Formats: sequence, structure tokens, C-alpha cells
Amino acid sequence: MIPHIMVQAVLRQSVSGFYTDLVTRPTGRAVRENIERDLAPGTIAVMDFTGVGCLDYSCADEIVAKLVRDKVKVLLLRGLTEAHREAIEPVLAGAGLAVLCERPDGALEGLGASEPAPALLDELVERRLAARNPGGSIRFTAA
Amino acid sequence: MTRLVEVPTQFDDRSFDQFAAAYAQATDGERLLFDAHAAEWASPYGLVGLLAAGEAAARHGERPLLTAPANPDVVSYWARAGFFREAGDLFEVHGKVPRTRPAVESDVLLPVTPVRAAEDVHAVVSTIQQRASAILSSELGLDPKATMGFAMALSESCQNIVEHAGTGGWVAVQAYNWRRKLARRVVVIAVADAGVGFRHSLEPTQAKRFGERWGDAAALEAALIQGTSRFRDPGRGQGLAGIRRYLARWEGKVAIRSGTARIAIVPRWDDDVPLKDGLPAFPGSQVLLIIPEQESGGGGGSSQQ
Repeated sequence: MIPHIMVQAVLRQSVSGFYTDLVTRPTGRAVRENIERDLAPGTIAVMDFTGVGCLDYSCADEIVAKLVRDKVKVLLLRGLTEAHREAIEPVLAGAGLAVLCERPDGALEGLGASEPAPALLDELVERRLAARNPGGSIRFTAA
Repeated sequence: MTRLVEVPTQFDDRSFDQFAAAYAQATDGERLLFDAHAAEWASPYGLVGLLAAGEAAARHGERPLLTAPANPDVVSYWARAGFFREAGDLFEVHGKVPRTRPAVESDVLLPVTPVRAAEDVHAVVSTIQQRASAILSSELGLDPKATMGFAMALSESCQNIVEHAGTGGWVAVQAYNWRRKLARRVVVIAVADAGVGFRHSLEPTQAKRFGERWGDAAALEAALIQGTSRFRDPGRGQGLAGIRRYLARWEGKVAIRSGTARIAIVPRWDDDVPLKDGLPAFPGSQVLLIIPEQESGGGGGSSQQ
């Protein structure tokens, strides 16, 4: 069973007050620690950003980069806005890390450093969690 | 003994060194009188910088005095910008100050707002998204998507206080017509604190690397240009790098003053110098971000300069 993390819901559980923005290191740390509690090391996880407002670089690093670096094997991001991508991409690229991102048409693509991304896609295909479309793109099939 | 510190009549980042020079002459135990009675205009940078000076002065001596601007329009603007709401806690204020609430609908996108903890940054980001979106897209000609980047830049600027200053600080955001320099409309973010400053914050991890060059200028260079942080965590130092990327895209400017130095990323419309050292010492850090109206965009609105 692949864990699906609804980031906005975790944000609500993690900090007092009603926030939709993922900003500041302490907020990012609280959200990540909440997520990590339910994640086995080396797992494959889906993280859905639907409903999240502003995501700053500190939170992108504290949540996404640290989960990729220390906890998960493959992280698939969903519900990203262009602004979310702009925060996450340089943070991952600077650390030589990558995640997979599901585009609105369902196709998966790498986000972050270009080198590790193909191996992430291969991992999902090998585990039969993703399949190749006729056009060559890859879609997630596990959920 | 009371020492007079004159507030420049046009108080912004360009006249700040004149203010800092007067401030730097004070010695411990002296009571300071900040004299703004002749002030004709102050940018958000001037207002938050004055609060930082007041906080630092109170730490080293008696509660400082502040003479409010004599011009009713000026004092009214300072009140609408939220300055006196904060100044009342720091200064013994003299002069006629109107009981105006900070503006809710005007070019003051964010009145002078204290930043002490992560919760304050959340509140600032939330407020600015509600209020700045229309100005950024319709008046500055920025892509509507740029609003989120603006909020990110604001968040990272404020976090420098929470993470590094060792004390609280203030932020203010304002839009105005910048006639003298650009003949275009701009949005200005100003953040100031009277904390430990960049050199002190980075010294334990960076001083050895710079050797004899180490100082305020080297610390600012390390932070803004090289993206170093006092934390050994590999993901640190993202904030200022992100701000630089955002401003590069929209031809904006960032300038940071800390201690005796000031560094700036200078866009082509500006003639500022990239690095100044040997300035009059001033506590903490003062950050200035300017995002200009895009050349194909609209304009209009009130003039401040």
C-alpha cells in the first residue's frame, strides 16, 4: 500500500492556527516530522499539494528535500502549482536530488536534478506502479 | 546626557548612512533623542530602520525619545503606515500624533509589522497575498503567478530575522511611484532588525575561510552571493538565493546593510554600487527589495518620491 500524504491536512494537524501556506523552517519541520511518523524508511510515497497556498524555499527544503534525502526511495508529487514547482525545483537541483511529479494530464516527469529522475521512473515501472503510455510518457497506475 | 540623532528629511536607504553616522556617535548610557520633526518623507526602509535604532538604543541606555514629524501630512502618513503603533513601545514619543489606524486600503500593502516568530511570518504572508495580488498584476504588470513568488521572497526576508537576528524586527511593504529613479511604479519590501547582524551570525562557520578578509562585507558576500548559512545543514542558505532568482526575473533590486557594510544586486535601471564597506556601524540587518513596474505594464497611483 502506497502512502498518500495530503499536505494541507498534515499542515493543519502540525501547527496551531489555520494556515494554508507552507512557510518558515519551523512549520516545515513540524509538517515533515508528522509525515515521517507514518512512513517506513525506503518507501515510495505520494504527496498531494492540493490546497496549499504559498510554499517557500525553506519549507521546500525542510519537507521535500529532507524526505527524499533521508526517508523515502521515490516521492511522487501531485497537485503542484507552478509556484510550488518554482520553490521545489532549485532546492532539489541544488542538492542533487529529484522527485517525480504528476502533470495534469497524468504523465510523470522528473523535478529537480536531472540525473536521478530516470531511475525513479524505472523503479515505479519495475514495481508495476507505473506504466508506459503509447506515446512514451509514463503514468502512475497504483492509485 | 541626551544625544540628538537627526532623522533625515527624506529618509530612505540612500540617506540611511547619514542617520547611522549620527546614531554611531552615541555611547553607552546616553539617552538618545531621535529628531524627526523636519521629516518630509520616509520610505518603508526608513521607518523600519528607525524602529531598529530605537530598540538598539533602549538596550544600551534609557528609553529613547522621538520627536514626531511636525508636518501633519507626514505624521499622518507615518501613522497610516503603522509606524507609531510600534514606536509607542520603544520611544517616548513627543509631538502631535494622530490616532489613525494603520491603513487597510491604500498603497501601504503591509503596514509596519513586527516579526518575532514563525507565526508572524505566516500572518505577513497571508496578508500580503490578499492585498498585493491586484497591485502586482494590474499596476506593476507582473504575471499574476508572480504574486506567489513575491510572498516567498517576503517570507524568506522575514525569516532572516526569526532564524538569525536573535531578536525581533519589523517588515513593511509599500507601492509607490518612483519618479526620481525610474519614472515607474515600484513595490518595496523593507525588513529591519537590531539583532546580531550577518557577521556575528556567520562568524563561527565562515570566519576561518575568509581569514583576514573577514568582516561585515565578507559576511554579506558569503550570505547573498555564495548562499552560505550559519547552519551546517546542507539545505540551508536557500532563502536569499531564492530572493535573488525572483528579483532577477522581474528586474528587481536587493540590498542588505549589516554592521558597517552594504551589498546590493544592482539591476540595469539603478546606479547603486554592489558593495560598500566602512560605513557607519549600525546594529542588526536591514534588507531592501524593490520590484519595479514591468516596462510594458500599466501605472498610475500616488507619488511618494
